[in-house]
Amino acid sequence: MGYGRFLLKRGVQGVGVVWGVVTVVFILRFITPGSPIDTVAPLDASQETRQRIAEDLGLDQPLYVQYLDYLWELLQGNMGYSYISSIPASVQVFQKLPATLELAVAASVVAVVISIPLGVISATRRHQPADYAATSFSLLGISTPNFWLGIMLVLVFAVELNVFPTSGRAYGFMQSLAAITGPEPFFTVVTAWLASLFLPAITLGTYFTALITRLVRSGMLDELSEGYVRATRAKGLPETLVRYKHVLRNTLVPVVTVLGLQLGTLIGGAVITEAVFAWPGLGTEIIRAINARDWPILQGSLIVIGTGFVLLNIVVDALYAYLDPRVIAE
Amino acid sequence: MKIGPISISPRTIRNLRKEFRSSGLARIGVVLVVVIVLAAAFAPMIAPHNPRTQNLDRAQLPPLGFTDTEQRTSTEMVNGSVQTVTENVTVNATAQHPLGTNSLGQDILSRAIYGARTSLLVGLFGTVLAALLGVTVGLTAGYYRGRIDDALMRTADVSLAFPSLVLAIALIGLFSRFQADVAIAITDPLVTTGVAGSFRDAVGLPTPMPETFVLPTVVILVVGFVNWVWFARIARGEALSVREEEYVKAARALGASDVRIVFRHVLPNSITPILVLATIQVAAIILLESALSFLGFSGTTLSWGFDIAQGRDYLSSSWWIATVPGIAIVLSVIGINLVGDWLRDALDPGIEGEGGM
Amino acid sequence: MSETTSGTERAGTPTGDGAPEGHPDDVLRVRDLSTRFFTEEGQINAVESLDFTVRDGEVFGIVGESGSGKSVAALSLVDLVDSPGRITSGEVWYRDADLADEFRDDVPEAVDGEFVDTRRLPEGVRRALRGPAFSMVFQDPMSSLNPSITVGEQIAEAVEVQRRARANPRRTRSRTQGYGMGRLIVDSLLPNRGYTSESSMNRAIELLEQVGIPDPAERAHEYPHQFSGGMLQRAMIAQALAGEPDVLIADEPTTALDVTIQAQILNLLRDLQEEQDTSVVMITHDLGVIARMCNRVGVMYAGQIVERGTLSDVFDSPVHPYTEGLIGSIPDLDDPAPRLQPIEGNVPSLLDEEMGGRCFFADRCPKAMSDCLQPIPEYDAEPGTDEHAARCVLTEREYDEADALPPDHFDRNEEVRGDE
Repeated sequence: MGYGRFLLKRGVQGVGVVWGVVTVVFILRFITPGSPIDTVAPLDASQETRQRIAEDLGLDQPLYVQYLDYLWELLQGNMGYSYISSIPASVQVFQKLPATLELAVAASVVAVVISIPLGVISATRRHQPADYAATSFSLLGISTPNFWLGIMLVLVFAVELNVFPTSGRAYGFMQSLAAITGPEPFFTVVTAWLASLFLPAITLGTYFTALITRLVRSGMLDELSEGYVRATRAKGLPETLVRYKHVLRNTLVPVVTVLGLQLGTLIGGAVITEAVFAWPGLGTEIIRAINARDWPILQGSLIVIGTGFVLLNIVVDALYAYLDPRVIAE
Repeated sequence: MKIGPISISPRTIRNLRKEFRSSGLARIGVVLVVVIVLAAAFAPMIAPHNPRTQNLDRAQLPPLGFTDTEQRTSTEMVNGSVQTVTENVTVNATAQHPLGTNSLGQDILSRAIYGARTSLLVGLFGTVLAALLGVTVGLTAGYYRGRIDDALMRTADVSLAFPSLVLAIALIGLFSRFQADVAIAITDPLVTTGVAGSFRDAVGLPTPMPETFVLPTVVILVVGFVNWVWFARIARGEALSVREEEYVKAARALGASDVRIVFRHVLPNSITPILVLATIQVAAIILLESALSFLGFSGTTLSWGFDIAQGRDYLSSSWWIATVPGIAIVLSVIGINLVGDWLRDALDPGIEGEGGM
Repeated sequence: MSETTSGTERAGTPTGDGAPEGHPDDVLRVRDLSTRFFTEEGQINAVESLDFTVRDGEVFGIVGESGSGKSVAALSLVDLVDSPGRITSGEVWYRDADLADEFRDDVPEAVDGEFVDTRRLPEGVRRALRGPAFSMVFQDPMSSLNPSITVGEQIAEAVEVQRRARANPRRTRSRTQGYGMGRLIVDSLLPNRGYTSESSMNRAIELLEQVGIPDPAERAHEYPHQFSGGMLQRAMIAQALAGEPDVLIADEPTTALDVTIQAQILNLLRDLQEEQDTSVVMITHDLGVIARMCNRVGVMYAGQIVERGTLSDVFDSPVHPYTEGLIGSIPDLDDPAPRLQPIEGNVPSLLDEEMGGRCFFADRCPKAMSDCLQPIPEYDAEPGTDEHAARCVLTEREYDEADALPPDHFDRNEEVRGDE
C-alpha cells in the first residue's frame, strides 16, 4: 500500500468519525431536559407563538426527518442560527475559531521547542543534575492544573511585575500581518499581540511540554538500547547523527501516537485557558452557549472541534507513517 | 495473596517492594497520598474550623509568616465638614487561621482539607465508573472481535473526538437543572456519632462541624462517562492477546461459557495494566473535577477548583486565597502520579502515559 | 619472547612497555584486555585478560559457547561497550604507521614502532578508527539496521563518514566529529541537503552490488523490513565494508539466518576477504564455521582464550580438555559410531565473587587435578613456537589420576554458597 492510499483510507475512516460526531451532537439535544422553545420564546408566549416557533425550528417533524434535515443543512454549511443573536452559527463559530487556533498553535510551538531538547538532554545525561531538573519539571508540569498555573502567572507577571496584560487578546495574527502596510505602527502591534499571547500560550503549553519531555525521555532511553544504535556507532557516524537522525526520529514514533490521542486534552485545555484569560475564542463561546442554552452555537462548536480533532489525527497519522515506514505495510 | 479472582504473585509483591526501596520518588508519592487520604477521611476531626463558617470580621487574613496592608476608607466629621479618610492598616496573620482566610472569612486550611474529600471521592468513584464502563466495552470488543469490535471501537473513536473537558461541561451544563436534585448529601459518621465533637472538645477546636457532606453525583457520572475510552483501549488490547493463549482456547474447547472465560481468564490477566491506568486516571479526574468546579460546573462549593475561582477575584489584594487550593491540587496529583509511576515500573504493564484531562 | 621454550610461563608479562612481540604480519595485538560489567547483582567479568593477535589478510576465529564473553570481546575491540560495562585494563595495539608517527612525540607510551595502543589514544582518534580501521558485522541484521531509514541511506552514511574524514581528519576527531547541532539543523531544514551526498549513495549502490544484492539501485531505496534476513546480512556486510576496514569483526554473522543462507553469507565473506585482503575476526559458537573459514583460532571460555593456534593445531591436537570437549560435541559424519560427548555442566556465571582464582573450567573438566585450583597462566604447547598455546596444566604434565580432584569437590563448595 502506498502513502497516498494509506492517507485515503484514513480519510474515509475520518469521514465516518465526523458523521458519528454529528449524530452524537444531534442526539445530545434530544436527551437534554427542556425544550429549545423555552429558550427562544418569551416567558409569556402564547400557545400559538410556541407552536409557530416549533414549526420554525422544525420541532414538529418526526425525529428522523429532523435528523436528515440537520445532516442536509450541515452539508450545505448551515449550522442553524443562534437562539440569542440570530446570527448564523457557522459565522459565529468560525469567527471565534482563529483565536483558539492561534492559542493552540502557540502552545504547541512552545511545547515542542522546549520539550524535545529537554527530553533528549534528560535521556542522554541520565542520573545527572540536568536529568533530575528535567524530570522534576515534567512531573510538576503534568500535575499542575493549567487554569491555576495561569492564575499564578497572572499574579506574578501581570499583577506584581506588570510586564504582561492580565487578560484579553490585543491583536490577532492576521491583524499583526496587516499592520505591515496598515496605519498602525507595526512594532507596537506585534509587541502587543505577542504580549497578550505570551501568558496564555505558556499556560496551555506547560502540560504538553512536561508530557512530551517525559515521553521523549523514556522513549529515547528505550531506543538507545536497540541494536542498531551500536551498529550505527560502529560505522563511525558522528554522535549528533546517531542521536538525532537515528534515535530521536524513532523515539518520536510513539510520542506522535500519544500526542494524537492527547489532542483532545489540548482543545479542552484551550477552553479553560480562554476562561482564565478572557480569550475571545471558541472555549469562551462554548461556555457562554451552555449557560445561555444557545443550542445551535454549542452544536456548531462541538462539530467544529470534533472535525478538527479528526483532521489533526489524519495529520498525525501521516506524520506517523512518514516516521515509521512499517506502518503503511501493515 | 488473593483478592477475588485475582491473585497477586509473591514475585509481584517482591518487585513492588524492590522498586519502592530503590526509588525515593515512589516513597514521596506514597507519603503524599497517605497524608491526603488521612486528611480527607478525618477532616471533621483535624480541620481547625468549620469550612463553611463565615466571619466577615476576619476576612482576607494572610497566612502565617505574611502581613498584609489594607486600605481602609472611612468618613469622619473633621471641623464640622465630612471628610473621607484613607488609612493603611496592617493586617497580621493569626495562628487560628494558619493559611489565612478567604473573602468570606472562611478558614482556608479547613476548606483545603475538606476539598481533599471532594477531589478524592470524585477521583475514586469517577475512575471506578470509567473502569467498569471501559473494561466491559473493551473486553467485549476484544473477546468477540469482528463486527462488535468494529462498532464499539468506532464509538470509541467518536468519543475521543470530543475533549473530555468540553464534553463534561456540555453534559453538566445541560443537565444542571437536575444537579441539585441528584446531588447526594451523605451524613458524616464521624460527626453524627459525636466522635469528632468530643475529639475537638478535648483538643480545644471549635465545634460544630458540618453533619453532611455533598457528593457531586452529576460530576462523578460525567467524569466517569467521559473517561471510559482509555480503559476500553487497554482492556481490548489485553483481551485480543489473551484470547489467543492456549489455555483460553482449551477452556473454550472444554465448553466453558464466554462469561466464565472472560471473568476467569481474560480479566485477571488484564488487571495489571488496568490498575496502573486507574491510578493515573484518578489524578486525571481530580484535575478534571477541579477544572469543572473552577468553571462553576460543580455540585458542591467545598472544592479546590471552586475556591481557586473565588480567590481569582481577590488576586491583587489576597494572593493566598487562590494559591493554597492550587498547591493542594498539585501535591495530590503529584502524589498519585508518583504512585502510578511506581506501579508501572514495578509491574511493567507496557502502557504509555495515556489519559489526560 | 619468541624464543621462549616449551613449558615456560608466558603470562604475567608486565604491561605498559610497548607492544607485545609477535609475528611480523600482525595487524592487531590484544594484550590483557579485561571488560567488566558493574550490575546490581555484582561485578561480572565478561572478558578476563584476553590475549590474541590478528595477522594481515587472515581470518582469526574466536569460538566459544554462548555466555563465554565473545561478543563483549568484539565490542571491547571497537570500544563500544555500553554502561554498566567498562574496559578495566588492557591494550589493543593496532598497526598504523601514520598514526604512530603522529603520536610518537605527544603520547609516547601509546606508540611502539608501527603500532599504536588504541586504548591510550584520545577518544576522538579512537572513534575515528571505527570504519577505516575496524568495522563490525553484527549477529542479528534485523535489529542492527535502523528500521525507519532506507538501507541505501544507511550504507551511504558509512561511506560519507569516511569521505568526510579523509577530506578533513582533524575535524573528524573533534568532539562533534565535524558535525554538530548547527549543521544538523541546517541540513534538515534546507531542501536537497542532508548528511549523505549523491556520490556516497552511488557508492552504497556499488557496495550492495558487490555483496550480491540484485537490482541494487532499487533495493537501496527500500527499508530493512522489505529485505529478507539473508539479504539484510549482505547489506550489513556492505555497510561494514564501506569504510574499507583493515580489520572486519564478524560477530556470529550467520547465527540468525537459515542454514541454506548461512553458507552463502560465509562464502561471500570469504570471497570479499580474499579479494580485499582484509583481516577478519570471526566470532562464532559454530566449529563448522571455524573449520571452513579460519586460518588461526582462539577458543574462548569464561572470558579467557583458553587455547589458541592454527586451525590444525587446535582441531587435530587439542591440549585443553575444553577444546577436546567442544570438538567431541560435534557429530562426525564420516564416523557416526562413537556417541556424541556433550560437555557436562554449564557455562559459569562470570560473577566475580563466584569465579575464584582457579582454572574456570575445572568444575566441568574430566581431567581436573589439584594443580587446577590456582590461576593458570598460558603455556606454549609446542616447543620453539608461541603459535599453539593453552591455559592448561596439561601442556606441562600428563594427567595423573592420583592427583585428580574428587568428583564432588565443587558440589560441596556449591552447597556452602547455595544458602544465599
